[in-house]
Amino acid sequence: MNIRAYKPLIPMIAVYGVLITIALTVDGMWQPVAYFMFYIALGQAFNIFLGLTGYVDFGYVAFMGLGAYGMGLAIKNFGHLGLIALPIGIFLAVIMSMLLSLAVGAVALRLRGAYFAIATIGVNEGFRYLVEGVRLWGGTEGMILSGFMRKTYGREMTNFFSTFLSDVLVILIAFSAAVVTIAILNKKMGYALLALREDEDAAKVMGINVTKYKIMAFITSAGFAGLIGATAWTLKLTYIFPEDVFNISYTVEAIVIVMLGGAGTLLGPMFGGLIYGIMKYYLSVIFPGIQLLILAPILIAIVVVFPEGLIGYIRKKARDTRLSEYLR
Amino acid sequence: MIVSEQLVSNLFYGALLGSVYGVATMGLSLIFGVLRIVNVGHGAFIMLGAFTAFWMFTLYSVIPILSIPIALIFGLALGFIIFFSTIKRLIDAPELSTLLATFAIGIFIEEVAKFVWGSDYVGFSWDIGTLYLGPVTVPYTKLLAFLCSAIIAGLLYVWFTKTKLGTAIRAVVEDREGAMVCGINVGRIYSVSFAIGIGLTVLSGVLVTLFVPVGINVYMGPDYTLKAFVIAVLGGLGSPWGAFVAGFLFGLFENGSYTLLGLIPGVEPFALTRFVAFVFLLIILLIKPTGLLGGE
Repeated sequence: MNIRAYKPLIPMIAVYGVLITIALTVDGMWQPVAYFMFYIALGQAFNIFLGLTGYVDFGYVAFMGLGAYGMGLAIKNFGHLGLIALPIGIFLAVIMSMLLSLAVGAVALRLRGAYFAIATIGVNEGFRYLVEGVRLWGGTEGMILSGFMRKTYGREMTNFFSTFLSDVLVILIAFSAAVVTIAILNKKMGYALLALREDEDAAKVMGINVTKYKIMAFITSAGFAGLIGATAWTLKLTYIFPEDVFNISYTVEAIVIVMLGGAGTLLGPMFGGLIYGIMKYYLSVIFPGIQLLILAPILIAIVVVFPEGLIGYIRKKARDTRLSEYLR
Repeated sequence: MIVSEQLVSNLFYGALLGSVYGVATMGLSLIFGVLRIVNVGHGAFIMLGAFTAFWMFTLYSVIPILSIPIALIFGLALGFIIFFSTIKRLIDAPELSTLLATFAIGIFIEEVAKFVWGSDYVGFSWDIGTLYLGPVTVPYTKLLAFLCSAIIAGLLYVWFTKTKLGTAIRAVVEDREGAMVCGINVGRIYSVSFAIGIGLTVLSGVLVTLFVPVGINVYMGPDYTLKAFVIAVLGGLGSPWGAFVAGFLFGLFENGSYTLLGLIPGVEPFALTRFVAFVFLLIILLIKPTGLLGGE
């Protein structure tokens, strides 16, 4: 293993350190930092597929939703066994989202461009309406776990889950997604995906098994999405409603974060998630109700004048300097 | 037989609504066909049309049929503004950029609308009598909406096949470079097609109000965006005619399956109808991405 190729993790660890220090020392900052970390995790997980392959998955939130349901089902069915329900929930969340991504990937990844994007919207909406239509897992009423969790684990423990444990898990997920990203970038798979993103047909002709790498990236990304859904939604909020967990706006937020920071880079999703989270949080505090009105033109401006993202831009400027070793 | 009567009545109603769906999707297909851009903010423009009809009716007592040209002009102007401010720079950008930009434009329009009109549900009722046809009872306004949709689609067809500009647009859909070589000003075709696409979409919002008189809301759009996607794919992305026919079929399918799925106990027919629609979408995309009605 070439340790020098992992240098870009140093600035990342520094940023995480600063954030966690702020969260623990400044009064009332834990929840805002947890809010930012959710967006960082979302961007970091989605980047593994969107950034590395260039395919736009508009149904990404379906994997998060399924992960949320995995955790919900585990708490509901294995809650009486005690805390073991949480690892079971994590396991279920990963397995369920990965299985769905395998099924979707095997069929939808044959499509490209706009057709793929529309097909994945279809998967997400179809899944949501299936849950509502046949009243699966509570249907439109969703799953409300707060009462059950308080009875099983006690009030203190439930509060600990939703205000501390879930946030710590989200931070861990974000960091592991980043480590997986840089591991992929440094391996053969990273180069294969780069070739595939630039020109899929040429990559195929060169003898790269594009389907295999595409599906691998898709499943990895989906597994992390399931984890985020299980922790940041079920464990934190203690309820699941289909119209929330299959809400397409989360997919779009994930795309925004990845684009803002720079698609396909390691550090991009972190800075993108941080900038987006801070903007969204403070805009909603300062201008309640019209934060989207301000955010939308900013987005359009980014897409039009800044398409390579923050890290992409800095990397271009810092090429051939010592700084570039730390940027990826 | 109550069920069969209900089915006949719902299918008839579905056919009328389907024609409006068709017009509401033609703009999406036209823009995709010419610019290869999927307008993810499509529904926001339908919402604008619905509000145009609502305000013209409540403020100036203008009947919705007469609001159609107003909505068209409003949509055309809006289309040109959006094209020259953003879309023009994104024509050769990757999907990621265009999908995100159109989505952001949709959100922006919704939020401006919310800022101006608030987020309450509003509506108006325009009553000019009802037609009784055996088991079928249809308000004349819905028949009128059907007639208008058919006329608009027909006019558009004539315009596309008989005029020079329409032919040029079809040439660009067929082959961008080829059209350029033939001396067609492709840049101008882009702007005109985008404006017409948006104009048609805003216009269709007026027709939609005749079917959902009380469902006018600034966030009504995304629902129509998703339906439009299904219809556009069904008709073959990029083909406005396919979209019109597919919209008609989708209206029949939606109301028919709603009636039939309602017979199964313990399910929600409304959600399940959507589910079936999206399953169809996936199947069509996989086996024949050019659409059921599209050519090879």
